[in-house]
Formats: sequence, C-alpha cells, structure tokens
Amino acid sequence: MSIGIAGTVVFWVLAVIAVLAGAAVFWVDSMARATYALAVSFVAVGIQVLLLGLSYIGVITVLMMIMEMAIMAVYMIMFMGMNPALMPMSMVHGKRTAVATATGLFLALTAGILLAPWPARSGDPVPDPTAALGEVLMGSKMLVMIVVSAVLLATVIAALVLALPRGRYDRFGDDLRRRPPTDPQPGGVGR
Amino acid sequence: MSPVYLWVLITLPGVLGAGLCLAGRVADRVAGPVGVTAAAAVTALAIGVALGRPAVAVPFVAGADFGLQVDALAAVVLPTVAVVALLVLIFAAAERGGDVPRAPSRFFGLMLLFLAAVLITVAAGTLPALVLGWEVMGATSYALIGFRWQDVDRVAGGATALLTTRAADLGLYLAAGAALAGGSALELTGLPGLPAPWRDVAAAGVLVAALGKAAQLPFSFWLSRAMLGPSPVSALLHSAAMVAMGGYLLLRVAPLLAATGWAATVAAWAGALTALVLGAVAVAQQDLKQLLAASTAAQLGFVVLAAGVSAPGGGTAQLVAHAATKALLFLVAGAWLTALGTKQLAGLRGAARRWPVVGVCATVGLLALAGAPPLSLWATKDEILAAVRDISPALAVVTLAAAAVSAAYAGKVLVLLWIRPSAEVVREVEDLFDTEEPGTRRVPRTAQTVLIPLAVGAATLGVLALPPLAAELAAAVGAAGEPESTPVELIGSGVLALLVLAAVARWGTPAPGWAVNWLYLDRMVTRLVVDPILWLAAALARFDDAVVDRGVTGAADGAVWVAGQAERIESTRIDATVRGVAAAVRRLARQARRPQTGQLYQYYLQVILLLLGAAVLLILVT
Amino acid sequence: MTLQLVLVVAAALFSVGVYGALSQQVVVMVMMGLELMLNGVILAAVACYWFLTPTPTAQVVLLVVIAAMTVEMAMGFAVATLLHRSRNSDMTDMATDLRG
Repeated sequence: MSIGIAGTVVFWVLAVIAVLAGAAVFWVDSMARATYALAVSFVAVGIQVLLLGLSYIGVITVLMMIMEMAIMAVYMIMFMGMNPALMPMSMVHGKRTAVATATGLFLALTAGILLAPWPARSGDPVPDPTAALGEVLMGSKMLVMIVVSAVLLATVIAALVLALPRGRYDRFGDDLRRRPPTDPQPGGVGR
Repeated sequence: MSPVYLWVLITLPGVLGAGLCLAGRVADRVAGPVGVTAAAAVTALAIGVALGRPAVAVPFVAGADFGLQVDALAAVVLPTVAVVALLVLIFAAAERGGDVPRAPSRFFGLMLLFLAAVLITVAAGTLPALVLGWEVMGATSYALIGFRWQDVDRVAGGATALLTTRAADLGLYLAAGAALAGGSALELTGLPGLPAPWRDVAAAGVLVAALGKAAQLPFSFWLSRAMLGPSPVSALLHSAAMVAMGGYLLLRVAPLLAATGWAATVAAWAGALTALVLGAVAVAQQDLKQLLAASTAAQLGFVVLAAGVSAPGGGTAQLVAHAATKALLFLVAGAWLTALGTKQLAGLRGAARRWPVVGVCATVGLLALAGAPPLSLWATKDEILAAVRDISPALAVVTLAAAAVSAAYAGKVLVLLWIRPSAEVVREVEDLFDTEEPGTRRVPRTAQTVLIPLAVGAATLGVLALPPLAAELAAAVGAAGEPESTPVELIGSGVLALLVLAAVARWGTPAPGWAVNWLYLDRMVTRLVVDPILWLAAALARFDDAVVDRGVTGAADGAVWVAGQAERIESTRIDATVRGVAAAVRRLARQARRPQTGQLYQYYLQVILLLLGAAVLLILVT
Repeated sequence: MTLQLVLVVAAALFSVGVYGALSQQVVVMVMMGLELMLNGVILAAVACYWFLTPTPTAQVVLLVVIAAMTVEMAMGFAVATLLHRSRNSDMTDMATDLRG
C-alpha cells in the first residue's frame, strides 16, 4: 500500500515542521512558547502517523500531547508564580558540549542508518490496523498490557510518594506512634 | 693358682679406696679401721699371690692385652709394698695431730687407691697395664701431696711433682708407640726382641720415664717439692712405692737395656752420678725431710745402677732394704713433726732422748742408711759394687764415693739426734718447737709400736744380698751369673762406713750453697722450660683474643651489617615500591570519583558516550 | 520516501532532543528534551512498521513507547515538585546530592 504523491509531499512537509519545531523548543525565550513548539512538533508527528494508516496511535499521540501541554502550563504557573509568557528563559549549561554531542550522535546515527543492511518489506499492512491491534493486545500480547498497567500503577504511587508535602511519617513520627499528630492546622478525625 | 686372687688383690683396695673417697665426711669415723683392714687383707693376698705366681690377661686396647703376672721379681716386691703400706696406714690411723685427722676418709681412700695402682704397676706384664698403674699412681700422688689443699704452696708442690713425672711419662707412650711400630703385642718381656731402631726408641722412652719417676738427675727437684705433703704420704710414696717403681721398672726391663748397650751405660752412669751428687746435696740440707728426700734419690741411684750393670738381684735387694729403712725414717720424722712441731735439724737436737723407742728405731734406720755392718744396706750396696767393678773402674770409684757420702749424711743426723744439749742449746731448740705446726708433745704408743717391725726389717733384710739367698734371688730374677761380693769387699766397705761416721762426728759436715739449693735444678727448669711454655701459652691466648675471637665477633658483626643492608634495601626499595603501588591505586581511585559530579546532564553525557561505545563494539564484534 | 530518509528525520529529532537534555538547566526543559527524543523514537517505530514489518506487533511497540512517555512525564513532574518544595528551586544544578 502506498500513500500517493500528495501523501508523500504532506509527509515531508510535516517532517520539516516537526524538526524545526523541535529546534524551536530550545531556541525561543519563554517557556510558554517552548511548550507550544513542542506541541506543534508532536502534532506533526501524530499526523504523520495518521497518514501511514495507524489511526489509533496517531489520535492517542495528539491527545496525549495536548493534555501534557495543559499540565505543563499549570506547573509553570505553580512554580514560577508569574506570567510565564513574559519571562526571558535561556538558562543553559555546557552548551558547546551539548551541541557537539548532539551533532556527533546525529552523524553516527545517520551513518548507521545508511550503512546498515535493511531487510525487505515482509508483507502488506492489514486493512483495519486498529482492530488488529485490539485483537493482538487481548490475545498474544496480553502480557504487554499487564506489565504496562503494573508499571503505570507503580508510577502513580511513586509520584504520589515523591510529591506529597506532608505524609504519615511527618505527622506521626518515624515509628508512627505519635498521638496527636503534628499538623500546621489542627483538626481532622484524631483531634 | 687361680687368677681370681690376683683380681681381688688389685680391686679390693681400689674399690674400698674409691668408696671412702666418694663417701666423704660421712665415713670419717670408719676410714681408719677400713683402711688398715684393707691393707692387712692386701698383705695376706700379696703373700699368697707371691707363693702361687698366677697370671691373667684380658683384652684391653686394640691389639694389646691388660696383662698381670707375678714372676720372681714381682713376688719379692709385692709383699714388701703391701707390708710397708700396712704399717704406714696403722701409723696414720694412730696419729692424733698433723694432717690425717683433718679428713681421714679422703686420706685413707686416696692411699688405698694409690696402693691399688702400685700393685697393678708391680704385677704389670704388658705396657697398657703398666701405663694404667703408672698414671693412676701419679694422679693419686698429686692428691696426696696436696692433701692440705687450703695451703697453696703444698698444692703447688704436688703440681710440680705431677707435672715433672707426667712429662717424663711421655717416654712410656713413646715406647708403646715404638713397640707397636716394631710389631710387638706390647708385652714387657717382648721388648728386647724388637727390631733394631724401635728397640732403641723403646729403651730410650722407658729410661726417661723411669728416671723421672725415680727422681734421678736431672728430674730430682720434684722430690724436694713433694716433701710438703703429710709424713705418712712421704713414708709410703717416696720410700717404698712411687719413686721405687722407677727403679723397679728398670730392673724389670734390664734385658732391654742390656740388649741396646748404650741404654745400660746411660742408666748406670745416671744412677751412679745421682747417688754421688744427691748424696752431697743431702749432706748440706738443714731440714730432716729434705735430707731424707735427697737420700731417697741417692739410694735409688744404686738401684738404677744395678739395672744398668745387669745385676737385678742386687738391685731388688737394695730396693726392698731401702723401702723398709726409708719408710721407718720418714715415719720417725713425721712422729717428731707432730709431737714437737718442727722438722728442722737444729730443732731436733737431742730429740732421740725424749722417746726412747722412737730414738732407738731412728738410730737403727740411720745406721742402716750409712751402710754400717751388719745392717741391710751395707750388704746390698756391696752386691751392686761387686757387679760394677767388673764393668768399669771409674764407675766403681764413683759408686764407692757415693756409699761414703751416704754414711756422711746419715752420720750427721745421728750425731745431732743424740747430743746432750747444754742449757743454751736447749733454749734454742725450744724456740724452734711449734714453728711449723702446733706440737702435741706426745707420740701414740701404736705409732711407736709400728716402728719396730720396720727397724727389724731395716736391720735384717741384708740377708737377701748375702751368699746363700743372693744367688737364689739372682737366679730367680733371671741373672744367674751375677757376681757376688767377696768377704774382703764386704769388710772393706763396712770399715769405710764406720770411718766416715767417726769423721763426721768429729769434724761435722760442709754445706755448700749449690748443695743446699738442690743444684738450682728448680730454678733452671723454671727458666728453661716453664717460663717459655707459659710465655707461649700467653702468646696463644693473646692470639686467640685478638685474631680468633675478633674473627668470630667480626663474623657476627658482619652478619649484623649484612642484615642491616638487607633491611635498608627492603625498607627503601621494596617498601617504597609497595607504597608507590598503593599510592598509584589511591590516585586512580581519586580519579574514579571525578565523573560523579552530581550534575544530571553530565550523567546523561556519560550514559550516551557509554552506549555509543557499546554499540560500536557490538557492531565490530558481530 | 525510503526507510533511510525517514529514519534520518527521526535521528534529527532525537539529536535535537539530546541537545536539549544536555544543555538545559530547568527541570521542565530537560523533560521537554526527553520528550523530543521519544518523539523521534515514535517516528522511527512507525517507519519500521510501514517499511519493514506492517504487523500489529509493531503497533504494540508504539503503545509501549507511549506508555514510557507517560511514565517519564509523571515522574519528572513529581521530582520537580519535590525539588521545588524542599529547595525552592527548579534547576538541576541545585540537585547535586549524588556528588562524590
């Protein structure tokens, strides 16, 4: 299956947009603009994915990035406490090392890509990739889902533990025996 | 006769003597009775063995036996020695003052050991047995002369005696070596049969040993020093037993001397000259024991002379008679020393009158010593003279002069003993009392009684040299054709002795310096022999300290230095190397901490670089 | 439109993301770099799906990548919150407790 000439042109345009937007993330001054650039880059990649027939994956990618930008905006307001659009943000360290490393890495990867003996295409894409994905996920790749769900659960718990301002151990002491608990605002059940 | 008797004869006094010596102070009360009883048993056994004539031999050293045999010569001498020893030990047990009561068990033990050694020497048939007895005699004589060991002079006297006789004893070892080289089994009777050069060497060795033991010239000085011992010791050792063994040895090996020719001549002249010169020395002495010592050497010179001229019968008779006479005189001197506390002739003036028995016995002994007829030594000297006059007139003249001189010194003492001192002389005499030790002013009756048999012997033993017995004795000891003395000679020598006695009584005796000092032999030997040896010893000691000791210490220091160098190398090089390695590792560790900066982006960088490297490696490998 | 060309584009996105992760001081900006890297990975995975193995298994890989992105976002924000609460700062240079 192919995507046609128009599809190819759109694909390449989107590719250029993605790379430029990605570069723009670290070029622009304010964090809000960086966030928008990152969103643009992701959306471009998402549309590329849609173009190649993976509708489910593409839609998820776009959705996820929109949500992430929203959350990032919330974080910036929370931590910076001011209008992030107006703050000049260009704090870098080791710029030359980073540039050199990135360039070297790109060259190495390109060399690898061009020199590697890629095999030929081994079949045709199915007509309904989403249904096929659903069937595979509930079938032979069930283990992947289980593992991913476990990992996500662990992530939720870890994030809570890390981000909690005051936990049990702060309130009840290291041995959880202090009564009544120490709170900045007394109240609650054990008053 | 069973050889058991011979073994018991020599082991009984040996074992009892050793037992008494080892028992020490514990046995002090029984020492006297035990010693006298042992001597009595030995006397009985000696007489029995002399009659039975047993012989015994056991393997001793490689190729030679320890052999004892009692032939005619030993049969005469064994009882003599045993009887004299018995009488001396009775005298010593009866003494109440002097040296013996200080340590009786040690005294009697040593005397019995000495007796055992003498018996072995007399009965010896092979050189190993002879040397054994000879050496033990010398060792016990040292212990007996230095009996009062707290006194350094007495011990020094004993040391002089021992060293001189021991040096002369090397001759016996030389003779044994020559006998072995000549292929003999070391039997005394086989010595004359050795091939020519070894026979002369053996003869020379035996001659030197015998002359040394018999205190002949030039060894005489040790006898003077040995007089520092107790009187019973002098009575046994230096009259009948030890010095007499020198003469006895020469009598026994007379065939060997005769076979070599020159040895007999040397022995004869040595004996004759000793008799004359030491007789002169005796004349000049002022101390009774010194006089008796010189006289012993002189009388034994006669015995040596007899061995040299092959008259063993006369020599044996002289030996026996002299034993009785000299033992008697030494015991008398000991009795007066214990009683009056002096042995100076000036202090003994008129001493014969105080205890009559002692005085009479002393007179008999001195007359016998002078050679006055019809006492023992007159007859024996004549028998020797008879043998000498056939050999050489010069020798005969010397011998006659020696006999006259012996009358001179005996007369000197005789006169002093019997004078009736004036009041002034009495005071002088009494000033000299107690000068050498405190006197007890009494002579025990047992002691006096002992002197009588000795006096009888001194008077009568001349029968061994007179015609009926003389020929038999000569035949028994193996010189059947020995010349006898004619009646003319006998009368002549008797008259000579009496004339000399009278002359001495009338005009007194001279006392030249060289005679008083025993020919300065002592000083000569010290300067010629002792001083060089001591100088050599000191030089060797210095060499040892300077070279050997320093060498050893130097080696030790060297080892320490080497150890120090090794330690230095180890501490500077090896230690430094080890520390260097440790420091390098520490530096590397410090470097290893540098990548851990805590900066997140640097950790990212390290991860990227590592992964890149791993990818490259993977590609290259596959 | 060949596989290599698409992969080169993905590599370019990845390199830009690397630059960002290495050079930015603010935690959120570092996170953005990491997101860009994952973006490149998504594009590379899709290219592999299209040109090599157009099977549902390749889509599962994409899902896993997305899940990884989620986890990275969550942990990154949690850490940034904690850093801000304890040190009142949002720069990685202040969080060098692992030094030495």
